[in-house]
Amino acid sequence: MLVSEAVSRKVEHDAGRSRWKAAASFVLSEYLVLALCVLYTLVMIPVVPEIITVEVWQNILSDMMPLLIVCLGQTVVLIVAGIDLSVTAVISLASVVGASVMTQSDGYLSGPLAAPGAMIAMLLVGAAVGLLNGISITRLNMPAFVVTLATTTFFGGSAIWYTTFHSTTTSIYDLPDMFISIGDRDVMGIPISVLVAAAAALVVHGILAYTILGRWLYAVGKNPRTAYVSGVPVRTTVVSAFVLSGVLAALASIVYTARMQTGTPILGERILLDVIGAVVIGGTSLFGGKGKVIWTVFGVLFLVLIDTTLKLLGASLFVIYVIKGSVILAAALVDTLRTRYLGVR
Amino acid sequence: MRTGFRSDAPLLSVKGITKSFFGVRVLHGVSFELWPGEALGLLGENGSGKSTSMNILGGVHQPDGGQMSLGGRPYAPQNPREASQAGIAFIHQELNLFPNLSIEENLFITDFPRRGGVPFIDRRWMRKRARELLVEVDLDLPPTRLVGNLAQGERQLVEIAKALHADAKVLILDEPTTSLTRREVERLFSIIERLKSRGVGIIFISHALGDVMHICERMTVLRDGAVIGTDRRERLNLPTVISMMVGRSIDAIYPERITKPRPEVALRVRNLTQRGVASDISFDIHAGEVVGLSGLMGSGRSELARLIFGLDPLESGTVEVAGTQLMRPNPKASMAAGLAFLTEDRRNEGLLMEASIADNIGLTFLRRFKVGPGVVSGQALNNTASELARMVHLSTDRVQDTLAKHLSGGNQQKVVIAKWLLRRPKVFILDEPTRGIDVGAKQEVYRIINRLVEEGGAVFLISSEIEEVMGLSDRILTISKGEITGSFERSGFDREAILAAAMAPAGPQREAYT
Amino acid sequence: MKTTRRQFTIGALTAAAAGTMPMLVQAQNGKTIAVLFDGLYSEFWVAGMQIIKDEMKKRGYNVLEAISDKDDNKQFEQVRAMIARKVDGIIIVQTDSKAVIPAIRAANRANIPMVHFNRPPAETDAYSVAVVADNQTIAREAVLHSCRTAKQAGGKYKAAILIGNLGDPNAIQRRDGFQEAVSQFSDTIEVVARIPTEWNADKAFAGLTNALQANPDINFVFTSSDFLIPQVTQALKSANKWAPIGAPNHVVFTGFDGFPTAYELMEQKYMDACGVQNLFYETKLAIDAILQMQEGKKPERILLDPGFAITQENMMEKRGEMWGYALLNQKKSG
Repeated sequence: MLVSEAVSRKVEHDAGRSRWKAAASFVLSEYLVLALCVLYTLVMIPVVPEIITVEVWQNILSDMMPLLIVCLGQTVVLIVAGIDLSVTAVISLASVVGASVMTQSDGYLSGPLAAPGAMIAMLLVGAAVGLLNGISITRLNMPAFVVTLATTTFFGGSAIWYTTFHSTTTSIYDLPDMFISIGDRDVMGIPISVLVAAAAALVVHGILAYTILGRWLYAVGKNPRTAYVSGVPVRTTVVSAFVLSGVLAALASIVYTARMQTGTPILGERILLDVIGAVVIGGTSLFGGKGKVIWTVFGVLFLVLIDTTLKLLGASLFVIYVIKGSVILAAALVDTLRTRYLGVR
Repeated sequence: MRTGFRSDAPLLSVKGITKSFFGVRVLHGVSFELWPGEALGLLGENGSGKSTSMNILGGVHQPDGGQMSLGGRPYAPQNPREASQAGIAFIHQELNLFPNLSIEENLFITDFPRRGGVPFIDRRWMRKRARELLVEVDLDLPPTRLVGNLAQGERQLVEIAKALHADAKVLILDEPTTSLTRREVERLFSIIERLKSRGVGIIFISHALGDVMHICERMTVLRDGAVIGTDRRERLNLPTVISMMVGRSIDAIYPERITKPRPEVALRVRNLTQRGVASDISFDIHAGEVVGLSGLMGSGRSELARLIFGLDPLESGTVEVAGTQLMRPNPKASMAAGLAFLTEDRRNEGLLMEASIADNIGLTFLRRFKVGPGVVSGQALNNTASELARMVHLSTDRVQDTLAKHLSGGNQQKVVIAKWLLRRPKVFILDEPTRGIDVGAKQEVYRIINRLVEEGGAVFLISSEIEEVMGLSDRILTISKGEITGSFERSGFDREAILAAAMAPAGPQREAYT
Repeated sequence: MKTTRRQFTIGALTAAAAGTMPMLVQAQNGKTIAVLFDGLYSEFWVAGMQIIKDEMKKRGYNVLEAISDKDDNKQFEQVRAMIARKVDGIIIVQTDSKAVIPAIRAANRANIPMVHFNRPPAETDAYSVAVVADNQTIAREAVLHSCRTAKQAGGKYKAAILIGNLGDPNAIQRRDGFQEAVSQFSDTIEVVARIPTEWNADKAFAGLTNALQANPDINFVFTSSDFLIPQVTQALKSANKWAPIGAPNHVVFTGFDGFPTAYELMEQKYMDACGVQNLFYETKLAIDAILQMQEGKKPERILLDPGFAITQENMMEKRGEMWGYALLNQKKSG
């Protein structure tokens, strides 16, 4: 063999290896979940060919939005090593409160003020529940799990009770067009819900990455003792996280309610596991101190993608649960292996 | 003798061990021998290769090259289990005991004695054997006592008993004396002597050079992953060992300070009282002054620091920093007044182990990097953090990527110091600033303290090493049972008198240790 | 970071390339119908789903199914997914009669026929067809039979009704049917307990037990759905009122739906009458409606299943149309 030939082979070999290495580093980077999404989509093409149509991806995008908004808040709470189980109750309660304010049949407000007034009321509901959670956790020193379990039960029930005063049925209908347009209108081809979610994501990302509060949130999540000794207002930080989570859940409620064109007290009842699941799959730690908005975006994408393919499949409920469970388990496994081998994140 | 080893051949021999992590070579051919019945001191700064060598001996890592033999037979453990079966017992600094189990359960956790072939534990045999083992380590406690209720020194003896039960031929002790009282240390040494007489080989790793010189017949010094030298105790002395470790000669352990304390009072403490912790404590610290606090464990020395900084509730008394009285005692207010506090618990209160160096340093004064309402400039923070890191001689250049948990103890402590220096404190309370860090790092901490007071800062220094307090302080206060029992000016420093004052009212509080 | 960005771009391009690949044509043997239920909470819905699927297969359709688990938003997403799959029709059982309207609109836009099975939507300008049982009539007929039986037996009767979820128009109609029947017999029957169950078995049990304690002389019970039969049985047993027809402590018992258990109780003479929804007929109506809509016709918005009341008298001749009886037979034959 000529020397030059050997050299060029070696170069080729090295280039191949470095390409392989680069691909591996991508898969193992924080884009892992995104990579899994691409892989999953490719695998599903023969099974549900519709997965590569524009319409399905529009659906995925619009289905992601309200869930993403809730998940943003949950991300912040998980970063301070908390957990917020009350988001579902906030969604339900805000939905019926908002609807009762603006419904055209006997609402509290009418005319052009109805929709904005209702939305403010909804956000206030979220902020109030978040504040109650935060204060109970920091002042009474109770675990977040217990506090929010209690508030979710209480406010979930309140939502149903509240509805009985404003409707003879289980839901409140006849919402103003201005409000409904959030669910089904575009601005320059981009659905309003996408704009709302994108704005929320940017704001939360901004808070986490560039503000004092953001740094406090991570510090408290990593070690509240050290944070306290270093002069971080630990309680205020924790309360802020829960208020943020409540407000974002209420914002999600606005999108959900506009989409359903109905205020219903069971609106968010079933999505708790999706919320926590998406955030954790994205890579945010349940033990606090670690989390990023972009991870959560990928986590939500992943979960909605699986859900969408399973809906397209039209398989029976049991098959769906088995597949969904297996895929999530596989994702968790890959994540664990990656953390073990690379020590990333 | 139970062991079948001959005493004219080495018990353990390590030859030319090399090891790399991620392409970085950390051991360059480490060799040493351990003879039956001797204690070998293993010395070196953090990062010198001690831990890696011991982890290889203990089967945690496998070497890239070199040979080991144990009792004349080749020894190459693939995992810690094989190592312990071969007769190597490794007692870590952080003990591996279950606090919620009893002593006997901890002793037999890996091989509960069975009765015949049935899967039931033979409790009677277990208790009898546990008693025998406890007698061997001089521990007069019922085997049913929960490990969680034992003092640190007692737990260590339980670990040693566990090693005896496993019939260990080589006992590796990593920093065994750091968290022990003097009396506990003496008991540990007498047990080590007994083990030596039975032919067990001891490898003793410690930063407390005095202890090493006392108990070890020979010493091996490691630096940068290689053995610098091995010699008998008689042919070594402290300065030689230190210069071998750090690679240069150390003129004076405690650097000279050129300035004198100023007249103005930086910290004024009056009638500080909290039941069971402090009673009616009053003292001043002047600008440019180092005041040392000496006391036994449990005397209330750390508690006093926490009271002053506002970490713990205070019944009565006042704290003034540079003339301003602290109204509501909490860390935030204390910091605003100009206090800084390095706690003795670096892991749980000093650092965010999972955060970068820069994030740790910036945490105390995020407002300094404000560029908009609530917005901080990460760039400015990183720049300042790098500057401070350089100032405290932190040996890393990537302050925004390196996590605190990946640093050595000494470097971690420098990060804690740097994060407080960021606030330019008027009074810096340092609680055990040099615990568990190597000689070189210690000296750097001393220099930082000196610079701080030379620039007009005041330092309140708490340390269990009396030499350290004496070497650095302008004045020493002694504390016992929450009361100040003595005050000594530098000119009148007298080791015996200070110790006597620190033990003043009839012995230490916690008699439970004996 | 730089390498990962580049890799990210490559990944995105790969995905885009995959997207432009010619779509694999799926085997399209015949047409596809989506069946979207809000849950399989009782035998009625399980049987409904099964009967629809069987009938579809018989006619050569593919069936795609999905359950929304009482989540209106999820069901909306399911409808959109089915639209994306270009199904030929959607049979839907929604949770909330109002929250389903955006889904109807979406189906209208995609020009896909939508039929509501058993639960009609709220009033709207969006077009869809609902196949519903004539709940009020069926309930009235069944309860009327029980009322006549009671009057013949003589004495005064204290009645209790288990009412369903008030968001469900069917529940309201059944209540109204009951009301119409008993008001014709106001001299014999007095309604002393109206128990809201929200279609929740625990609430039903607690409610009936409380009512029996407050009014120990209740001897006439109507349940708005047969899925509550176990709770009714248990509550009556506890009150020592579980006895066959003819016994002095027999409670006149009327059911609704036509469950297998209802047939068994009729056979054992514990139940006097039962309003039956004709699931077979409703399925046929639904499929026919979809076919018509595909041809561009606009069937009536509400297609009624007249149903029937099965009573102790007509049991033998009518049981063949009762889905519960058919299910029982199927089980027996293996």
